[in-house]
Amino acid sequence: MDQLSRLTAEQRANLVAYLDGELGESETSEIESVLAHSAVARNDVEHLARTYDLLDLLPRAKASEDFTERTMATVRMSDVRPDITQSEWYRRARRGSVLLLWTLVMAAASSVSFLVTRKFVHNDADVFVRDFEVIDRLDVYREVDSVEFLEVLSGPKGAVLDDIRTRRGRETVD
Amino acid sequence: MLRVKEGDEAAFAKLVTTYQDRLISIFRNLVGDQEAAEDLTQDLFLRIYRARHGYEPNAKLSTWVFRIAANLASNSRRSKGRRKEVQLKSSESGPLGVRPAEKLLADKSSLMPSRQFDRQEMQKLVREALESLNERQRMALLLHKFEGMSYADIGEAMELSPQAVKSLLSRARESLRTRLENMIR
Repeated sequence: MDQLSRLTAEQRANLVAYLDGELGESETSEIESVLAHSAVARNDVEHLARTYDLLDLLPRAKASEDFTERTMATVRMSDVRPDITQSEWYRRARRGSVLLLWTLVMAAASSVSFLVTRKFVHNDADVFVRDFEVIDRLDVYREVDSVEFLEVLSGPKGAVLDDIRTRRGRETVD
Repeated sequence: MLRVKEGDEAAFAKLVTTYQDRLISIFRNLVGDQEAAEDLTQDLFLRIYRARHGYEPNAKLSTWVFRIAANLASNSRRSKGRRKEVQLKSSESGPLGVRPAEKLLADKSSLMPSRQFDRQEMQKLVREALESLNERQRMALLLHKFEGMSYADIGEAMELSPQAVKSLLSRARESLRTRLENMIR
């Protein structure tokens, strides 16, 4: 290989893995052979290694002093189940339930009272409703003045005329 | 963790002290500030504690912990994105941000080969280079650098194949090399 020849994309990708000791045996010997023959590859690998060393400059942060304590307290808190009876929504729900219960009780009591009253207590108005048709025509019925005529009225069609003719005929004879 | 599963609080406290600095370091380099990193770490421990009953020792504990960390970091970034928070650096606090000429000057300055980098400045440049990577590259890189995790373990933590981790790390390191070229000459 030419001392200055460029590396293939795969060889370049393998350079990093080579530095990290992540290549298999055959790939390692291939890269070592490339490195032995190419100054460009040696330069690349050296730059990659030095770049990687620069990452040592990155800050290695430390936890603040009370971090462990705070974390343990948070964890303990997560274990404690909150008392739901103390929460606002629970109090509201409870108040709502009581109100709903009372409403249902009142509605049930009203229904029962209505049914009982309807069944056992007689009302004068019921009589009026039942006999409304008679009451409505009471004046006419009073004018009739004869039970027989009423019977004729309730009889078959044309019976009224026959009855009137019979009466008139009887009056003429007399 | 098995003792934690059985309700041993002291074992959980030990787990917290073992992992807290390591996790905060990773989160700090992912999210950029200490307070947010501590909040995420605390959230992570809370999740571990809540999930303790379902814990099965199928994978290494550290891999399991860092898998939760990777998910948490990803969720945090998504929710941050939803809030559309824009954090300006102090130098960009003007109404129009950095003026092009100023940026050019700063870029040129950092390109000067003779320039001596002091440690703080180097730290800043490395941090900026890291921030230029995408979140997955950053996470993989931090797990590798800070935790010394193998590609297989990183893959397990990030739900990727070792081949994908190899490719992710290769691109990340190439990108860093390009950005930090002046510092390594």
